[in-house]
Amino acid sequence: MIKPLISRESYAARVWRKTLDGVGVKVGLAWIALLVFAAVFAPFLANSMPLLMSKDGVISAPVLQYLSVEDAWVLATFFVALMVYRLQLGAGKRVLLFLLGAFVAAVLVNWVVKPPVLVIYDDFRTTAYTQVDWRIMPPIPYAPTDYLRDLVSKGLEAPLVTVGHTHLMGTEESGADVLSRMIHACRISLSIGLIASGIALFIGVIVGGLMGYFSGIVDMLGMRLVEIFEDIPTLFLLLTFVAFFGRSLYMMMVIIGITGWSGYARYVRQEFLKLRKQDYVQAAVASGLPLSSILFRHMLPNGIAPLLVAVSFGVAGAILSEATLSFLGLGVVDAPSWGQMLDQAVKSSTFNWWMAVFPGGAIFMTVFAYNLIGEAFRDAIDPKLASKAGHS
Amino acid sequence: MLTYLLRRLLLMIPTLLGISIVVFTVMALSPGGITPQALTSGMEMKPEQRKAIEDYYNKRYGLDKPAPVQYLHWLNNVSPIGFISDEQGNRGEFSFNKPMDLGTSFQYGRPVSDILAERIPITLLLNLVTIPVIYLIAIFVGMKSATDRGGSFDVGMGMSMLALWSIPTMLAGVLLLGFFANIQHFQWFPTSGISSREALDMPFLPHWGQTGFVRGFLLDRVWHLVLPVICLSYGGFAALAKLMRTSILENLHSDYARTARAKGLSEHDVLWRHVFRNSLLPLITISAGLLPSLLAGSLIVEYIFSINGMGQLAVEAVKSRDRELVLSITWVSGLLTLIGYLMADFCYTLADPRVSYD
Repeated sequence: MIKPLISRESYAARVWRKTLDGVGVKVGLAWIALLVFAAVFAPFLANSMPLLMSKDGVISAPVLQYLSVEDAWVLATFFVALMVYRLQLGAGKRVLLFLLGAFVAAVLVNWVVKPPVLVIYDDFRTTAYTQVDWRIMPPIPYAPTDYLRDLVSKGLEAPLVTVGHTHLMGTEESGADVLSRMIHACRISLSIGLIASGIALFIGVIVGGLMGYFSGIVDMLGMRLVEIFEDIPTLFLLLTFVAFFGRSLYMMMVIIGITGWSGYARYVRQEFLKLRKQDYVQAAVASGLPLSSILFRHMLPNGIAPLLVAVSFGVAGAILSEATLSFLGLGVVDAPSWGQMLDQAVKSSTFNWWMAVFPGGAIFMTVFAYNLIGEAFRDAIDPKLASKAGHS
Repeated sequence: MLTYLLRRLLLMIPTLLGISIVVFTVMALSPGGITPQALTSGMEMKPEQRKAIEDYYNKRYGLDKPAPVQYLHWLNNVSPIGFISDEQGNRGEFSFNKPMDLGTSFQYGRPVSDILAERIPITLLLNLVTIPVIYLIAIFVGMKSATDRGGSFDVGMGMSMLALWSIPTMLAGVLLLGFFANIQHFQWFPTSGISSREALDMPFLPHWGQTGFVRGFLLDRVWHLVLPVICLSYGGFAALAKLMRTSILENLHSDYARTARAKGLSEHDVLWRHVFRNSLLPLITISAGLLPSLLAGSLIVEYIFSINGMGQLAVEAVKSRDRELVLSITWVSGLLTLIGYLMADFCYTLADPRVSYD
């Protein structure tokens, strides 16, 4: 006899529990958590200035003085996110509250934080900062854009060979510390991954939803549009967009989002085509609900689970796209990025293995982590598929 | 079948038009856009010289006209149906079989069709060598893991295929180039290009000559292709191997496989004579998606290994804002992709007689 199990677990809770079951997904989540930590606390982990120092009895925190607007905003937003997570609210309210909090933080930070315009990193190695009673330096005492001119850094030095100052992962072309640059580059990778796939998801859901709901002529036209975006190899399209539209971080997010929505649209369309003849949708139509309510409040929640799997893989793809563009020399110019560092590995006449292994390894681990999460999530959502695939 | 083929070919036309419109719009809307001023900005020259060049661009490509007119101008030149125009850009009579003209590249000053004719075969060679490699390894690994379900080979391969799939092409390329084509480590393979200069004078096949072993054109080409092909193929076979494994497992548990076993066939016969052929179907459908990803992959691989193919041309073209070249490259790659889809559908009917498109 099989004992019937009565479970009060909600669908979301069950999927979440099953997702967390494997080892791989834990590794993936741990890596992402590490990246988030590095991205949020980057200025405190790798910086040329002391975290805290006492000179002539006056205790000061140079890191806080030199904190840029962006650094402060990321920190504030992180704490807003933590607070929102603790609150007992519905998902929609949480997202709204988070966006509101992030916006308020942006306004406040822009108003309050006034960092010095000019930062000369060499100054932090003069007596004004070294001859002190005591000081606490960050774990990696080099800022990402500190090219160590006063220490006569030759650039492209292998890890741990430099006399006088240690670089755990060597130095790059212009002499800056690789590990420090990698920590600060987490921010670009994570934010591009999330925001670009968010934009792609937004466009994909709307186009795909309309296509699936109306079918007929809308569907046909929409599918042609999807085909157009699918038939140009994405990288070619991305290259064209980036080369012609400039290379700022925000532009990159929008561009990667715009070029990546076709897959989501296909997915949503397929789901909606299945759902549109269901009784509850017909009932919603009959009771005269507005279109947006039918599409997003009634249909979307029922088709969202498989979509989230696609998003998880999509984030990995977006991170890879950014790295590839940076690698091809079309990335963000003024900030460090993993792809751009990887490019330096073979650019000079010698092969600099640390420039390939560390940044490349970081890209690989991040993509791998998102793929692992996506895979586990897919198996949790669709047990039939999982048993078919032999994961049982 | 013929009607189906015709319909598919006709459906290609709006898609190709759409591709060119999207790419053209991107370039026209970009800040600065495509103007003769932007094209000559980097060069050192006298004002009158600059003026002359700008006038030339304006006349030759109609760059001083509004963007939609420029697009129609380009479309008219490209399509076989349209107005015949002479060198000065004057419109002649309407014709249905005029020569297609992809225009002249801004950067190279040569006809785009000539440049593409040089570059496309190289990219196609890379891709055509890669596809069989992908399929062979994918089928082998998928087969082995499916028959060894739950065993150490299966589990190990499942994990390592996902890992392989996640390795960025550029990382693999840089590492292979750095370790296996570098004087610091192992200089086993050449660093760049797809053939060495002296190989062009060699006979095709390897043989023993007066001076010792001559590797010949073929072997030289293979030697140059090893690293790029590894780079291009691993992602593909990692994805396909997983698919192959799923498909074989699904078929092994199906009714017809049980019937075959009940008839008393050996497991070997069930696997190879019954299950194997049916398991290939998903691999064929996926082959359509393989071509665009290979084209994108070859872009990176060509950049790393300095191979003068279409991918490298694309990078150069967008960097120098070479409008005619960018349009033609996206257009041609779109066409190649569409042809790939069409071929995949045809292979599907060949492999599975149940599938019919009529």
